[in-house]
Amino acid sequence: MDAVIKLSLALMGLALCLAFVRLIKGPSLPDRVVALELFSTLIVGIIGVISIHTDVASFLDVTIVMALMAFLAAIGFARFLERGGPRDD
Amino acid sequence: MIEVIKGTLLLSGAVFMLLAAVGVLRLPDLLTRMHATTKAAALGVSLVMVAVALHFAEVAVVARAFGVIVFILMTAPVAAHVIGRAGYFVGSRLWSGTVKDELRPNYDPLTHELKSGLETEANARRRPREDDPD
Amino acid sequence: MIGAAWNLLLTLAWVVLTGDFSGLNLLAGLVFGYLALALIQSQVPGLAGYAQRVPRLLLFVGFFIKELVTANLRVAFDIVTPPWHMRPGVIAMPLTAKTDFEITFVANLISLTPGTLSLDVSDDRRVLYIHAMFLDDEESLRDGLAEMERRALALFR
Repeated sequence: MDAVIKLSLALMGLALCLAFVRLIKGPSLPDRVVALELFSTLIVGIIGVISIHTDVASFLDVTIVMALMAFLAAIGFARFLERGGPRDD
Repeated sequence: MIEVIKGTLLLSGAVFMLLAAVGVLRLPDLLTRMHATTKAAALGVSLVMVAVALHFAEVAVVARAFGVIVFILMTAPVAAHVIGRAGYFVGSRLWSGTVKDELRPNYDPLTHELKSGLETEANARRRPREDDPD
Repeated sequence: MIGAAWNLLLTLAWVVLTGDFSGLNLLAGLVFGYLALALIQSQVPGLAGYAQRVPRLLLFVGFFIKELVTANLRVAFDIVTPPWHMRPGVIAMPLTAKTDFEITFVANLISLTPGTLSLDVSDDRRVLYIHAMFLDDEESLRDGLAEMERRALALFR
């Protein structure tokens, strides 16, 4: 079980690195926002694995807050990209 | 037995997340990248959370893990929709292999109006809705 | 909706009366509450159709999970193999869903299933613009989307 946890943490860490490359390369702002979105989802997964590893269930509260923040950030970025145009929905 | 199921779920979740990251890095344009992040990443997190629920096997933890899954499955498509729409209308280019675009001719960048392409006979009998501005 | 609320109330009553707060007992309470409501639904107008809707919902969740997994495997295969097999494009899909809630539900489902991502709905709410990743066979894709919309709307109507 320990090896499986280490392996999945390694895979997710690699995924974070790849997403980071996309964050740096861009080329446009929406691409970076997509990379950040993927970051937050990956971090939710990592916290889930760590809560199994340490046997602490309270980490799940952190994942809920993390997912909520990521969603709000995505909405905010989208509004920013459209510069609050006349579309009101 | 339960250890094996847990391990499988964790590993497949991690693999799906890695695939999402590879997709974000490799795929050619914004909209195809969003395909990778919404689906693969949401499925990966769901699998990891099922593993967490199996590991603790208490009502409170299972409820919270289930809540995380439902929340992710509800918000991932909404976030993809707002970012995809913003990116598309802001003018990020589509990949050169794109075969079809039925949205572009119906969109007016000045007024931000999006037609359905069906209105020719519908407009004639369109009645004003109650919440229409005067 | 009112049926689900009654079901939860009955479950709560069951759990409190038996005094056993385990997950298995909660599930038993849900099942017994559902059975009781199914028995009395012909007498109470507010509950009409509740017994039929629950199995439909469970079937739909199964169908949805199957679609989610196959969607992912297909996209994953295209991501890891070097040449691109995809033929992406934006198509317009006429909607039969009318209210805001139905349109949101259908659009979210479409975003989570085979190689499709809902982009925007037209201003008059009659057409949903979808970005599809595999446009090799447009007819069957449109048929699949219409089938999914029909199944989703059957849950509410």
